[in-house]
Amino acid sequence: MTNYLFQLKMNFKRIMLRNKAFFFFDMMLPTIFYLLYTKILTVGIPTSTLPTWNENYLISMMVYSCMLGGIITTSNTLLDDQTSHFNLFIALKPISKIQYYSAMAIVFLCLNLISSLIICLVGIWVNHISISLPLLAVLILINLIGTIPLILLGALTALAKNPNTVNLLNNLIVFPLAIISGLWWPIQMMPTWLQKIGKIMPTYQLSLLDQNLLHKSTINFSAILIIFAWFIAIALLFFVIGNIQKRKGLSIQ
Amino acid sequence: MTSILEISHLNKVYEKKSILSDINLKITSGSVTALIGANGAGKTTLINSILDLIPHDSGEVRFLAGNDWKKITGVMMQDNISIHRITVQEIIQLSRSYFKYSLSYQQLLKISGLENQQKHFMSKLSGGQKRRLAFALALAGDPQILFLDEPTVGMDSNARNDFWQKIDQLRQHGKTIIVTSHYLEELENIADRFLILQNSTIVFDGTIQELRNMSGNGVVEFDSQLSEKIFISLTDVISINQVGHHFQIVTNNTNSLMLELTNYLQALENLQIKQTNLDTLLLNYKENTHD
Repeated sequence: MTNYLFQLKMNFKRIMLRNKAFFFFDMMLPTIFYLLYTKILTVGIPTSTLPTWNENYLISMMVYSCMLGGIITTSNTLLDDQTSHFNLFIALKPISKIQYYSAMAIVFLCLNLISSLIICLVGIWVNHISISLPLLAVLILINLIGTIPLILLGALTALAKNPNTVNLLNNLIVFPLAIISGLWWPIQMMPTWLQKIGKIMPTYQLSLLDQNLLHKSTINFSAILIIFAWFIAIALLFFVIGNIQKRKGLSIQ
Repeated sequence: MTSILEISHLNKVYEKKSILSDINLKITSGSVTALIGANGAGKTTLINSILDLIPHDSGEVRFLAGNDWKKITGVMMQDNISIHRITVQEIIQLSRSYFKYSLSYQQLLKISGLENQQKHFMSKLSGGQKRRLAFALALAGDPQILFLDEPTVGMDSNARNDFWQKIDQLRQHGKTIIVTSHYLEELENIADRFLILQNSTIVFDGTIQELRNMSGNGVVEFDSQLSEKIFISLTDVISINQVGHHFQIVTNNTNSLMLELTNYLQALENLQIKQTNLDTLLLNYKENTHD
């Protein structure tokens, strides 16, 4: 337990506290987008629908922030650990790989928690959004749990090993996923065929789950099932590719 | 003596090329084993296979400690670890935290020789400093068995001397050490067993004296205007290396060779007798096996 706490503390230091530029970027980008969409790009939107618009964008940007942290931060950190041989160091120590991965996942979840809180505070302070504190806490909690498949997706892209390939994969996943999931613009603005694809994405389902809870006070179980199915599919892919790489002697798992 | 590690019929094929072929090995407790061979001979692959970092195709690696082998093993790999935004102090403490019984922080810091760099980030250390830190990290759990893969690469001569002195102390404390190095002269005084890995298999397994008996235990050097043919015909000559008028003859029996050379004494200058070093032995071994 002592070594787990020590590893956790070290991860907080190296990923968050001592990486200020990255931390700022990771935290601020979704907040800047939120302000852009709710304060500048609102021309022509009737005043009566503005509060709903602001609430929906709050949800969208919380999910977007979790996606950035989940995919990009995870893959970059794992890639960094490969190039610095930290994963080799861990592989030779009498600890399980679960300890290494879970101590890192906790930090990523905390990063997402902080970025979600910042967006919420901005939403409340700038756009005067009125969401009760318990509901806000539940929404943030749902987002954190919903981020787990995205963290796994980040771990999956890190298996590509080559930094250029990993960056390319991240860009190919993150930005198209944000667009087709309706996180940047309403999904209704897209062609029907693209909407169909967008609606099965985990990020759309996560945002749908939040919006149903916020506007209708209902839990969308089909969204939970779809997110869980994504988690299983990505986890399977991760273990299959990881094992193939280990068998070929390409990776230290 | 107890075997702390046993390897039997280990095979590894990568991209249809045999990297390790039928490796059989028993490492006794308290021994210092030097694994030597040319680049690409398979030394690092063998170590990685033993440490389960890469899978082998067939064969078995068995530690006396069983599945708990990581608790009694310290490893210094060829590649330095250099985690960003982590200090020397933190990585030493982290390494210690993995073991129930570990060397103290101060002991490890002293081994690393980084007393003045405790608060420095690992990534800011020089290559030699990173090697010394890697050595200290390998010793964190006070291991019974130590794997050292090219440990002195990047170290300056003082650091290398210090390093081998520490290895000698560890040997005296009964630690089992498996080491690879391209600085063969460093291994001569420390290792009590030599394994030559060549063409994916172990072609020699024995002491340096046994290697000398096979590949020549002495070198006679001199300058002479005489032809090489004269010296080739002498008995006990294993190999001759001629550069201009300078001759270097490797022999199994320096006394008998010297006796024969007395016939040509007037034509020889700067005559010297040397004991063969490991580099020459390895070179001769390769030449003999290629013949």
